[in-house]
Amino acid sequence: MSRPNMQFSKIRLSRRSFLKASAASAGWLMLPGLGMYPSWAKDARVLRVRDYGDPQSLDPGIASNLYEEHVNAAVHNKLIAYKPGTKWEWQLEAAQSIEQVDPTHIKFVLKPGITFTNGFGEMTAEDVKFSYERIIDPELKSPIKGDWATLASVDVTDKYSGIIVLSKPFQPLWMTTLPYMGGNIISKKATLAAGGKFSAMPPCFSGPYVIKEREPKQRTVLARNPEWKGTPAGFDEIHIFPIDDEKTAEMGFEAGDLDYTRVSMSSYKNLKKTPPENSVVEKYPSLYYVWLGMNMEHPKLSDERIRRAVQYAVDIPSILEAAYDGVADPATGYVPPGLVGHRPDTLVPPNADFAKAKALLAEAGYPDGIDLDLEVRNKAVYIAAGQVIQAVAAQAGIRMTLNLHDSGSFWSLGDESKGDRWKKLQLVLNRFSSAPDPHYAAQWFTKEQVGVWNWERFKNPEYNQLYEQAMAEADKDKRDQMYRRMQELMEASGAYRFITHEAVPVIYTNRIIPALRPDGMPLLRYFTTA
Amino acid sequence: MLFYLLKRIGLAVVIVVVAVVLLYSMIHVVPGDPASVILGPRATPEMKQELHKLMGLDRPFVVQVVSFLGKVARGDLGMDYFSQRPVAEIVFKQLDETLVLVLASITWAMLLGIPLGCYSAVFRNTFSDKLVGVFSIGVIAVPSFVVALYSLLFFAVTLKWLPAIGAGESGQFLDQARHLILPAFAIGLGWVGYIARLVRASMLEVLNENHIRRARAFGLPETTIVFHYALKLAILPTVTLLGTGIGRLISSAVFAEIVFARPGIGKLIFDSVVSRNYPLVMGAVVVSTVLFVLSTTISDSINAMLDPRVRERL
Repeated sequence: MSRPNMQFSKIRLSRRSFLKASAASAGWLMLPGLGMYPSWAKDARVLRVRDYGDPQSLDPGIASNLYEEHVNAAVHNKLIAYKPGTKWEWQLEAAQSIEQVDPTHIKFVLKPGITFTNGFGEMTAEDVKFSYERIIDPELKSPIKGDWATLASVDVTDKYSGIIVLSKPFQPLWMTTLPYMGGNIISKKATLAAGGKFSAMPPCFSGPYVIKEREPKQRTVLARNPEWKGTPAGFDEIHIFPIDDEKTAEMGFEAGDLDYTRVSMSSYKNLKKTPPENSVVEKYPSLYYVWLGMNMEHPKLSDERIRRAVQYAVDIPSILEAAYDGVADPATGYVPPGLVGHRPDTLVPPNADFAKAKALLAEAGYPDGIDLDLEVRNKAVYIAAGQVIQAVAAQAGIRMTLNLHDSGSFWSLGDESKGDRWKKLQLVLNRFSSAPDPHYAAQWFTKEQVGVWNWERFKNPEYNQLYEQAMAEADKDKRDQMYRRMQELMEASGAYRFITHEAVPVIYTNRIIPALRPDGMPLLRYFTTA
Repeated sequence: MLFYLLKRIGLAVVIVVVAVVLLYSMIHVVPGDPASVILGPRATPEMKQELHKLMGLDRPFVVQVVSFLGKVARGDLGMDYFSQRPVAEIVFKQLDETLVLVLASITWAMLLGIPLGCYSAVFRNTFSDKLVGVFSIGVIAVPSFVVALYSLLFFAVTLKWLPAIGAGESGQFLDQARHLILPAFAIGLGWVGYIARLVRASMLEVLNENHIRRARAFGLPETTIVFHYALKLAILPTVTLLGTGIGRLISSAVFAEIVFARPGIGKLIFDSVVSRNYPLVMGAVVVSTVLFVLSTTISDSINAMLDPRVRERL
């Protein structure tokens, strides 16, 4: 076939002119004014961090997610706040002094001179009263009402002083209420002017930062609060990017777009071995707890011997190696190491004991094994854990079918109000978040929580009694013993096989000094430059 | 043409209503509870019940659908009860980002794909035609999320030329353009191949038609014949493909939005489905369905304008 008679215009391009053009283009791309320069060359006074979610509500009385608290903690003040470091401790923030005068009365005095922005004046004890009492007000429908469940009132004694009055002693107040989501103090005047509550943008701020800009699903920008008189903020601006996927965040960090991010457990070893240039990789113990739960009311699992057989057929070291890349340690209950109530050991050792599992099955009338369903969330780490549980348990004659669920479906599996699905629930690989007091985790396993969050349907009168006592007990050693016993009761029921508390690996650039809680979560207001 | 347009718009409305009803049914068939997902372990039964009431989930299914369609007809997509913001505001903010991404992707794909297709057709069966063929099939075969990951690793992580995450600062055009390059490259690359193959095939067909042979007999320059006479007809299947391809582009955008942590309607739908945020899912689905139907209507109308025979077929 002959070539058609076409006259396309010709461009003469020699090797030299090509190289010149390439160099000029690259230079143009790197011009700072055009923004086409490496991200690490960005303003040193801007901190760029990743969080796993995008704040929905920034009213401290309505917000219930950790990523919302990260913002709120930087723009508001609490009487006391978590102290950055490796031990769970609190420090004074808005309070000049605070003391427990008796089991149900806490006296506080505010630091004078803390002001709210936008002309809403100085922070007073009236603001503290308003902020805490509104959380228990049924009108607000606060999701964190439980944190202040024992609050009777806040009595104002003068402009800066007041007394928090509890209806009954509540020890967790010092670690899970006052320094956490329920402890933020907002302006009474500003909030009432906004209609009693707000969502996207608070009417005023009192912390070292203010919210400068909110781009939903994209970023939240905090800027220095010009009216802040405390220790100066470490950065001119903090840019918080909502990135759910840890791998994406890791690449963002490696590209120089982030200064601090949590990374995946599967990446930890590699990053630790060969960290990106100018970065620090660290691992923190997590408060999360992961366990294999068994529905005690399911006909196949109503016999305690079957449940104990499952406990013995689960090999914790294999799960930790395969799903958590050997980064996480085994759990002994819902209380992680370092907190009151942590158990040193479990009743069932971490390693599987197939002979014992088979014997228990045979004793229960299943000499040829048993078929069970295991419900798992469709995230890589849980799928891997589920597959290991399935493969190992098969060696003891427990044949499991893995059912994967997205979050929406998973979180209603054991919920009685969502129909009869809970009746079919057999085994479930579950994971809950927690707070630095054992009470927070203990509350989900009381008999009142059966069919709500207690999917194992574990009902033990001694557990409930200890739960009530431990809440009020001021003696640390006694509380410790109580929570240990409560976890022992759970494990002895056969309905729980505690797996791990996971771990929180983080990475940050060495141009910053991060301020982290003992579980690796950021306390943004205390971040500074190196 | 006017009668054709009226018929086409009527059909579009019916398609939107059917699609919305079907999707509404499908979403509610899937088990799951928005209150449990969003409120987490802190949710008490009373709080969950309250949220269901606020979201209208306590009403019969048919009532929910009819009420939703009525609101849509009035231009009201409802309220997102989690962020307390109008759904329309959230969706349209995300839609902007997706449209920019989709338009950037398809524009560069067309700018490269159409000339490549023409070149292949004109120089058919030559070495360079075969090379373009291999390239086209190659890029079609590689999923966009793979392109996204590797381009991110190379250009952002290794070379640090381009940013890895986000959509850039609003109001800063150059910064936003810089953030757009990698996602648009990832989504558009496969389309370069598609368009090149499609243009080549239809161009080959058109180049053999009588009026083209007559043009050659008149001694018109080949560039005029190719770009003025042949391409005008050969481009028709591409226009149709682009119209129907909007759905595929939005689904490709989901991957790019996740990999590059960009805001967008694809990721919004994905996140909302996972959290069972029904008002947001439905708002976003209605808008993307309308967008899809609108783009197919526009492409069909352009076809009808370019080729009068199409008007008679509806």
